[in-house]
Amino acid sequence: MDKFITWIDERLPVSNFVKNHLSQYYAPKNFNFFYYFGALAIFIFILQIVTGIFLTINYKPDAASAFASVEYIMRDVEWGWLIRYLHSTGASFFFVVIYLHMFRAMLYGSYKNPRELLWLFGMLIFVLLMAEAFMGYLLPWGQMSYWGAQVIISLFGAIPYIGESLALWIRGDYVISDATLNRFFAFHVIALPLLLFALIYLHLAALHTNGSNNPDGIEIKKNKDANGVPLDGIPFHPYYTVKDIFGLSVFLLIFTFVVFFMPELGGYFLEKDNFVPADPLKTPEHIVPVWYFTPFYAILRAIPDKVGGVLAMGAAIFVLFVLPWIDRCSVKSIRYRGMSYKVLLTLFVISFFGLGYIGMNPATPVLTWIGRLFTLIYFGFFVALYFTSANEKTKEPPDRVTMHD
Amino acid sequence: MIRILLITAIMILPVHAYAASQSMPLKSVLIDLNNKSSLQRGAQIYVNNCLGCHTLKYQRYVKFVDHLQLPAETIENNLIFTTNKDGEATKIGSLILNSVNPDHATEAFGVMPPDLTLIARSRGADWLYTFLTSFYKDETRPLGVNNSLYSNVGMPHVLVWMEGLKKQSSETGGYEYINKGTMTSAEYDNAMTDLVNFLVYVAEPAQLDRYRIGFWVILFLGVFSFIAFLLKSEYWKDVK
Repeated sequence: MDKFITWIDERLPVSNFVKNHLSQYYAPKNFNFFYYFGALAIFIFILQIVTGIFLTINYKPDAASAFASVEYIMRDVEWGWLIRYLHSTGASFFFVVIYLHMFRAMLYGSYKNPRELLWLFGMLIFVLLMAEAFMGYLLPWGQMSYWGAQVIISLFGAIPYIGESLALWIRGDYVISDATLNRFFAFHVIALPLLLFALIYLHLAALHTNGSNNPDGIEIKKNKDANGVPLDGIPFHPYYTVKDIFGLSVFLLIFTFVVFFMPELGGYFLEKDNFVPADPLKTPEHIVPVWYFTPFYAILRAIPDKVGGVLAMGAAIFVLFVLPWIDRCSVKSIRYRGMSYKVLLTLFVISFFGLGYIGMNPATPVLTWIGRLFTLIYFGFFVALYFTSANEKTKEPPDRVTMHD
Repeated sequence: MIRILLITAIMILPVHAYAASQSMPLKSVLIDLNNKSSLQRGAQIYVNNCLGCHTLKYQRYVKFVDHLQLPAETIENNLIFTTNKDGEATKIGSLILNSVNPDHATEAFGVMPPDLTLIARSRGADWLYTFLTSFYKDETRPLGVNNSLYSNVGMPHVLVWMEGLKKQSSETGGYEYINKGTMTSAEYDNAMTDLVNFLVYVAEPAQLDRYRIGFWVILFLGVFSFIAFLLKSEYWKDVK
């Protein structure tokens, strides 16, 4: 066995790779609950790829047969229903996990120097993931697939001068049609997963360059022993591999509960109208995007002007990219930051949930005005943060990490 | 941590399940997919009264063998009434279709009767049950009936021979029967429960499997999580 490993290592440095990234890769020992979600996101990515491959075996990207092929998978393919529910539930849980993963970065300042690039790769993954989910949602060719895509793509039409031709170019037709379904299938199944794979690789490469941040927001590499091992670091393997196995099994407990007992989740994961085949002549009375898009959809609707709405929605995502430069506080973790940041972040979270709720519901005048208030708070967070963060009244972070449990 | 779990739970749980504009409160119906005789009666009512217009085009007859516990012969003799172009009886492995001509149907009802395979998933069981029990006499409509839940619906009251015809009573706001059908009001309600039960099954036959398998999956993961926790604790006891 040893000889075999040596033979491999002379040709491909597998042992070195395992050392550098697992058995002698030192991670802070004080990770808490929020640090499960990176590993979980990778798990879901793999789950989506594997279930996706099995779905493509029987799915037909053709407007005339797409809907029926999904029902064929649900009924006549062995275990097809399970594969389909794993994929559809996986899509929603991907966003649950990614939103918590991003929130973690905001709690502990994980996007700050020296991890700005790590954050930027992460944000690119988030944007691509939204595109991936949006295009995947068209494929079952239900009413909500069709009209959701119709609404979102028509938004591109709001861009001055080039808008209409751009929307036409994306759809490949004047309305959502077979041409659109075919190209969305190509993007959903090949182009975007490949890009996502590359970006996840870069995200991890950037992570392993400086190592993980931690709930105390201090650099463990500042305190090393004689061998150059961080005093507050523990080898990723076995410590975090066993911890992540535990985290994964608890996650799967919740995940499979949804898959087996409530795969529609009351119309939030699989919308009721999507069990009606797409009909270009019949608009549903209430077009709603899937829940993970609703905060941004609410921002879009909050602005009375179509171009303005599209710009605001784009800005709501773009502003997250520049967060590392908006937040000028040198202390990373919320544990040692001033009251101003704690208040601002709380308001931001409330506005995000509020917008999500409003985006799911019909635009009544009252809800629209509350939506405007939340939109103001959403953007206000970044503006206020820029001005307060430079002179924030912070506590002195400790020298060494602290353990809470 | 618990606070965060709660927040997540609130975020993903249906706090405001699908706000569609509803004209009347829905009656609730008790669905029991383990009640095979109810599913069988539902299938019987469906093929005798509904299938003439409404296909179940994603479902195959042969599934009834396992799911409804009906012998293949019983299905072929009692549930399959259609033939192919050459006049041969439809095979049991076929999808459940009919021979409605869309042009004729549109002329007669104003709209092509929709396929009902997934109707229980798009409308919900309670909606279907309420719809089926809410037909009443209305001379202003071309077919002489209207529906309190789905006003001006194009569908005639096909089951009037079972239920009898009722009219809306102006004093009580309820209904009173004008003429009797073959069933009492309670019998008709039971028959509609069977029919809706059947439609809920047809909309997602996987329900028969997923609750059963899901129980074992959750049990396994519960035990596995516990072992994983012990393993994690064993490794982590030295980390101070």
